[in-house]
Amino acid sequence: MRDRGGRAVLLWQIGILVAILAAWQYLTGVKAISKTPGLYWIDPFFISRPSAIAERFAYLSSSAVRLTIWQMALSTVESTLWGFLVGVSTGFAAGLLLGRNDRLARILEPYIVAFNSLPRIALVPLVTMIFGFGLLAKIVLAWTIVFFIVFFNTFQGARSVDADLIHSARFLGATEGQILRSVIVPSALAWTFASLTPSISFALIGVVVGEFIGGESGGGLGYLIVQSLGTLNAADMMVALLMLGAIGIVMALGIRQLESRLLRWRPEYQKP
Amino acid sequence: MGRIRISIRDVSKTFAGGPREVAAVSHVSFDVGDKEFVAIVGPSGCGKSTILNMFGALIAPSDGDILVDGMRVGASPPAGVGYVFQKDTVFPWRTVARNIALGLEYRGVPARERAARVQAAIQLAGLEGFEDAYPATLSGGMRQRVALMRSLVADPEILLMDEPFGALDTHTKLQLHAELLALWQARQQTVVFVTHDLSEAITLADRIVVMTRRPGRIKLIHDVKLRRPREVITLRESHEYLAEYGEIWHTLGEELRGRA
Repeated sequence: MRDRGGRAVLLWQIGILVAILAAWQYLTGVKAISKTPGLYWIDPFFISRPSAIAERFAYLSSSAVRLTIWQMALSTVESTLWGFLVGVSTGFAAGLLLGRNDRLARILEPYIVAFNSLPRIALVPLVTMIFGFGLLAKIVLAWTIVFFIVFFNTFQGARSVDADLIHSARFLGATEGQILRSVIVPSALAWTFASLTPSISFALIGVVVGEFIGGESGGGLGYLIVQSLGTLNAADMMVALLMLGAIGIVMALGIRQLESRLLRWRPEYQKP
Repeated sequence: MGRIRISIRDVSKTFAGGPREVAAVSHVSFDVGDKEFVAIVGPSGCGKSTILNMFGALIAPSDGDILVDGMRVGASPPAGVGYVFQKDTVFPWRTVARNIALGLEYRGVPARERAARVQAAIQLAGLEGFEDAYPATLSGGMRQRVALMRSLVADPEILLMDEPFGALDTHTKLQLHAELLALWQARQQTVVFVTHDLSEAITLADRIVVMTRRPGRIKLIHDVKLRRPREVITLRESHEYLAEYGEIWHTLGEELRGRA
């Protein structure tokens, strides 16, 4: 249950949102010099107005458009989730493998560092060239980022497993496979989870960048943004941005839920 | 002393620590009999934990032989040996019941039998009501109790304990001494117990191996003549206890003075 303090925080949060929207709507309607058309204190041409954004949102949701805003959002969410899932699972597996195998880690280290220091945006044209303009290219882009974030965290986690826990397991009769499952994986998971929230944000970044150059066949909110730039339509751009913000929040909350379930043994999740 | 369970023969251990070698244990020999409770006492850094770790195959001796049930200790822990660490080694992601079940799970004991044995252990340790609690919510004493039951539930014949109660307050410690003695009496295990606390050693052990400071050699092997069963609280006020204490303290004191 939400306590009184929590309700006050929520009220403040809503109050701030309303204040920002009201100021935005008002200031973009005030003329700089009275009666001169087109000159505003704050020009809605660049940042649009809440009312105009709502109008465009309604239009973009309607059947009047070929590709509705919901279809675009779905495409973005779908690629983000796939990129995230593939990135997390491969990153986790690779992190465990190298974290428990010093020799292999030493051999592969320069390659990993080199690839990770490459700006991922530079890969976009190449990935597009190989995987085309569709869903797959976007997933691959998200994957290249997520993989490394999860990999490095899991790697650290797998290395810092308490040796005495492994000894205890061995004294209790555990085989190497049982030690992996009952000691190493759960203790590395705590580290992996720390990387999931940044991972989902970065997956979204990878996908949107992919959509920037992916064109209409790639679809998604990134495509709407680029298209709005072409037509200098700030309202459409704002619709896409707000949508992306909402998607980001929902995904981060989802991860937090998952984390508090899977890591419920951690002191911070214990009821006092 | 009955049948010999553990035998340590002229064992030395040197660690390659940086530029020079550090001798931790030097030419140590003694035996541990079946169902005997042996305590190893000495100043910190005397190599007492090193000896225990060699019994458990956590480290290999540089020289000499260690035999458990007549077999040389190899690279992996000998069968039927349990180990309770000084550090908290309860798995934080498992509940109390699932921690205690670990050894049975590893050995493939069927779920029904597992549940029954775990339940019995929980009752024995007075942990009823905490079956589904995570270790983060337990006190240090309760966590160490879980660790002890986790080792005991697999019924090891030999139990190695490395200062298991070192981090606990006196009250909790005494309570656990009483519980450990009761369990040991009931289960008839062979115990090797490392501690720096002389009163703990006298309270629990049949025999006390007193070590010198580094490199650890055996200073004295002392037979504790106190009768069993022992009552841990009143025991400390008895003349017999004080006599034992005085005797060993005198020898240990020589060691401490030698350090200055």
